[in-house]
Amino acid sequence: MLQFDELKEGDALPVHQRGPITKAEIAEYSRASGDPNPMHVDEEFAKASGYPGVFAQGMLSMGYLGQYVTGLAGIGNVKLLQSRFAKITWPDELITCRAKVTGKRVAGGEKLVDLELTTESQTGEVKIVGKATVRAA
Amino acid sequence: MANRALIGREFPAVTATIDPESVKAFARALGETDPLYLDDAAAASGPFGAIVAPPTYPIAFMAQSMAGAASSFDELGLNFMTLVHGEQEFEYERPVKAGETLTLTARIHDVYEKEGRSGILDILVLETEASDQNGKRVFASRQTLVSRR
Repeated sequence: MLQFDELKEGDALPVHQRGPITKAEIAEYSRASGDPNPMHVDEEFAKASGYPGVFAQGMLSMGYLGQYVTGLAGIGNVKLLQSRFAKITWPDELITCRAKVTGKRVAGGEKLVDLELTTESQTGEVKIVGKATVRAA
Repeated sequence: MANRALIGREFPAVTATIDPESVKAFARALGETDPLYLDDAAAASGPFGAIVAPPTYPIAFMAQSMAGAASSFDELGLNFMTLVHGEQEFEYERPVKAGETLTLTARIHDVYEKEGRSGILDILVLETEASDQNGKRVFASRQTLVSRR
């Protein structure tokens, strides 16, 4: 759990890393999430649609952010999780999830911490910009 | 064409019973290792009394509630082949539990168009509310879908 009293606005939390992303992982996620979109599993289809090959869905990286935020706050303490899918995540990329404290407050008897989130590749390209609100101790 | 008359349209409620094996497969696909997502015995004696789903799991069963939205896609003239998930937001009261039955109600929150780099984009924002067998809210979803005309 995050410790409310130990955090202040602007704090960067320890990062969470995933990857290198594999096509097999993307395919497994497609099956598990019921995503029928061939862009994620059919190499020829993706190329015929103008892409260099298959790519990960934004929701896979949002899944990593969910994993990251839940790891920081504890299962059951995530109140809000939001992502804007800015850039595509490709096979072989390394993904770093980052969180920065944007505020903390007490509301409805709960100690809440607001976070700004990003995922980025090893080149620093930002894939997702998002936010989360978690309950803290 | 951004048909703003569709704003507020609600789709018939659907129910979804959360399958434990589906939750575990989703957790494994994300490389999760927490026993609350994967181990029946540990989860049963844990704080939620059941296997719980990782926070983005609702995407795996929400497609059903949006099946009703498919005809709206046609009415909106949305190009299904270029439909892209632009944004996703979840608000949670508690984690989704394996074995429970959720009632999902989806509605069109907003429809608008936007000038993009390569032409006009049609934006559709769908909201879904999920409640449990006691009528209590479990989570809400707001999904932004983007289509190139």
